[in-house]
Amino acid sequence: MELPEDLKYSKEHEWVAVDGARARVGITDYAQDALGDIVYVQLPTVGNTVEAMSTCAEVESTKSVSDIYAPISGTIVAVNDALSGAPELVNQEPYGSGWIFDIDLSDATQLDALLDAAAYRALVESG
Amino acid sequence: MGAPEWRLIDDVETTDLAVDHMRTDVEMLERVAAGDHPALRLYTWPMPTLSLGRFQDAADVDEVACARLGVRITRRPTGGAALLHGADLTYSLAMRLEAGADNGVQPVYDRIAGALIVGLERLGVSAAIARHDRAPGAVCFASQQGADLRVGDRKVCGSAQVRRQGAVLQHGSILLRRLDIDECDLVTAACDRGTLRRATVTLEELGAPIDPRSVASAIVAGFSDWLGASFGPSTLVVQGSDAHR
Repeated sequence: MELPEDLKYSKEHEWVAVDGARARVGITDYAQDALGDIVYVQLPTVGNTVEAMSTCAEVESTKSVSDIYAPISGTIVAVNDALSGAPELVNQEPYGSGWIFDIDLSDATQLDALLDAAAYRALVESG
Repeated sequence: MGAPEWRLIDDVETTDLAVDHMRTDVEMLERVAAGDHPALRLYTWPMPTLSLGRFQDAADVDEVACARLGVRITRRPTGGAALLHGADLTYSLAMRLEAGADNGVQPVYDRIAGALIVGLERLGVSAAIARHDRAPGAVCFASQQGADLRVGDRKVCGSAQVRRQGAVLQHGSILLRRLDIDECDLVTAACDRGTLRRATVTLEELGAPIDPRSVASAIVAGFSDWLGASFGPSTLVVQGSDAHR
């Protein structure tokens, strides 16, 4: 299981790459492996505001539809349109070309509630 | 701790034409996600209905043909492709994804498949978890994935899931017999009727009981045996529209 040290993680298996007041979000290697082959990604709408822990995207794999949650509150400022034609990028490069959306943070203190790599690893290894 | 007590919702003899099975399934999921008992529901369809997957392109459906043939159209909250109901028994279950279990998509399909396989064995049907055979197209039963059940190489049950708030809803269609029409009459995509028929098998063709009540009883027994689901005297059994209360 690949787990970059420089990212933050949610208990719902999203990763967050913070860059100032903006963050990039995707799902973790553990999550993509548990989902299996992803065949569709329902992306959020640019400009929408989302609350932490609210559903903001969906993925389908093996006829199973799963919610993707916003790990932090903010405004969606970009989505990965490449996933519309190539949803398998989430499986192939979950931390790279398989990113899902960018968000402008409305409350940076929420980042403190996210996990570091070690804590996330402990979470998934504990089942 | 004893086996969890399940809620059993019996809609096997649905005759209400206004029934909205998908809404009922979603409500069942929401109740379980909010902390209610896990639930198993069994139902039939009072009129032929084509269900589409959550993200399936609406252009896959020939609405004119559906109207001409008296087929209703609905959309599932779950994934997958178009499936014609009307000569099937549909099961749906909602349960929490408990910590400590392998809750990956395929492992959950496998756990539930075990219960369905045990249930079908009670009907003399020897089913197995299907193997991915080809890229999914517009018609559910035209291809197999690990979500499905097969007898030999022919698909007998197609299933799909949706996961929300730590709970999963899985529902699936067990083919009892064939209707005079099939999905090839109802979709715009290329659909070869002969291929579809050869890719599927019904309980009737297998010489098994096809009375929905008998099949439902066997499936309930399968869940009881395999998942340890308790459907004892204290089980909360509700019927028909009572499920909404």
